[in-house]
Amino acid sequence: MISFIILMSIVICFSAVLALALNFQWGSGGMVNFGLAGFYALGAYACALLMLKGGFNTFFATLGAMAIVAVACGLVAIVTLRVTEEDYFAIVTLGVGEMLRLVALNEDWLTKGALGLSGIERPFNDWVAPTSYSYVMLGFCALMVAATVWFLNKLARSPFGRVVRAVREDDVVAATLGKHVLWARIRIFAIGGALIGLAGSLHAFYYQYIDPTQFSNIVIAYAFMAVIAGGRGAYLGTILGASIVMVLLEGSRFAKDLIPSLSSDQLAAIRIIIIGVGLIALLIYRPQGFLREYRLQANLSGSKQQSP
Amino acid sequence: MLQTLFNGFVTGITMTLPALAVTLLFGVLKFANFAIGAMMTVAAYMAFALNAQLGWPLLPSTIVVAIVCGLLCIAVDVVTFKPLRDRGSITLMVASLGLGFVLENIARLFYGNSARSFAIEIARPFRVMDIRMNKEQMITIVVSTVAMLAMYFLLTRTPVGRAMRAVADNPSLALVRGIESGRIIRWTWFIAGVLLAVGGVLIGMDRAIEPPMGSSYLIAVFAAAIFGGLGSPLGAFLGALAIGIVSEMATLVIPPNYRIGIPLCVIALVLIFRPQGLMGQAHIRR
Repeated sequence: MISFIILMSIVICFSAVLALALNFQWGSGGMVNFGLAGFYALGAYACALLMLKGGFNTFFATLGAMAIVAVACGLVAIVTLRVTEEDYFAIVTLGVGEMLRLVALNEDWLTKGALGLSGIERPFNDWVAPTSYSYVMLGFCALMVAATVWFLNKLARSPFGRVVRAVREDDVVAATLGKHVLWARIRIFAIGGALIGLAGSLHAFYYQYIDPTQFSNIVIAYAFMAVIAGGRGAYLGTILGASIVMVLLEGSRFAKDLIPSLSSDQLAAIRIIIIGVGLIALLIYRPQGFLREYRLQANLSGSKQQSP
Repeated sequence: MLQTLFNGFVTGITMTLPALAVTLLFGVLKFANFAIGAMMTVAAYMAFALNAQLGWPLLPSTIVVAIVCGLLCIAVDVVTFKPLRDRGSITLMVASLGLGFVLENIARLFYGNSARSFAIEIARPFRVMDIRMNKEQMITIVVSTVAMLAMYFLLTRTPVGRAMRAVADNPSLALVRGIESGRIIRWTWFIAGVLLAVGGVLIGMDRAIEPPMGSSYLIAVFAAAIFGGLGSPLGAFLGALAIGIVSEMATLVIPPNYRIGIPLCVIALVLIFRPQGLMGQAHIRR
């Protein structure tokens, strides 16, 4: 049971990094990413291939994966050059994500197609005994989550963070105030992409084996659910949201004990139906999520805390 | 070569109905609906239930399913999208994505992942001028053409169609003229539901009926609607034909696995060079 909780915590951690990336792109920057699963796959495959084919160690493979996904996302953001309506961008991200998954499935010479890549090395593997490795992995993943939250919170309080929110709220006003909206969008999407690359790398380290089925559209549903539950733009809330979603999902494994007649396909379908219904219900009944986004508040009276 | 052109034409004409649904929904509701793929899937399965399981002929099954689907779309709108109407297009899009997951997996829950097909007799393909065509392709062409003509008549000659175009063009002006937007939105959903249902049956007839069948057309259908200019019905028709032909011709040079890359490139090029699309009007935001 203890080991189950530890393994689940690791899954929560890298899901949280992925959800944080989405929360930055969508929650803070207003750029919907419906290709999340594809970019996530790109991160995991880039990390795995850099190690398996490129001979890099885990650290540089992770950095490489982050850079590759960041560049890919940045390039995608260029299509907002002239059309800034969110609808078009969402469609483009969906298509790009689909393409990335097709590449993983079809380019056998590189990705081994449906067979997937196995034998992915893990960080710090030589230093610790295999029995206690899951603790180290959990610590490492938790550290990555903490670092991501710290980084995003720093960013939210920086001048660039204000540009990010301004672009989300009203890009015309941001442009009128002399902000370069396209460049800001490219950076928003690329920074989110780097974090997706990190999440993908952690995913590859944890499972040590990746194949295209791990990166289906369900990943998108989970991540959106986590972000909406936690609160758009609220990074700590995202961790909460990711935990809730993952506990619900992993908990639903036990539903099979209750209704034994369900096949595993049906069970998977029910899980996604629950996620989808939950997504819509949250959007309707609690769109602000559980926690609030950071807001710069004027400190007029000079006192320490202002009432919100 | 000619054969590929013909196949592309059929692929394109299959997509005209969903592309028209996308463009109508976008015109009136102002958001891209990502659930249309799953809606087509559900419609195809409903037709499958009537046709293959209850033994009805395909035509009456399709008509019944089209009407049921239209009414279902109105119900879905009331439950899902109506409470979110004023929250901006991003929220609506995310909700439609969630709805798509729900619908596709309801189909999966009942029928599993295996591919099904309608109970129609398989006819031998025939040849006209060295082009091989089969009965299903003929049916697709006839049904789509009839549906497009009916839509043209509806949009230009009936009060409902004119009101839909008015709401799509300028909602507040339409309101001033006494057009009740709630009623028009219900009509739009109903018509879109009918179009999607017929489109779903046509796709199911052409390929197999399986849970991801509708969403696999999503990018191509959006590309058709965007290429034609989102919100323009005639553009959606021309866009669908163009996308179908171009992607089918492209399989002569690129591997067929990457077929969806073509509509994707079309979207990107249109967005960068001619954002209003083929038939759409350039508009200035605010």
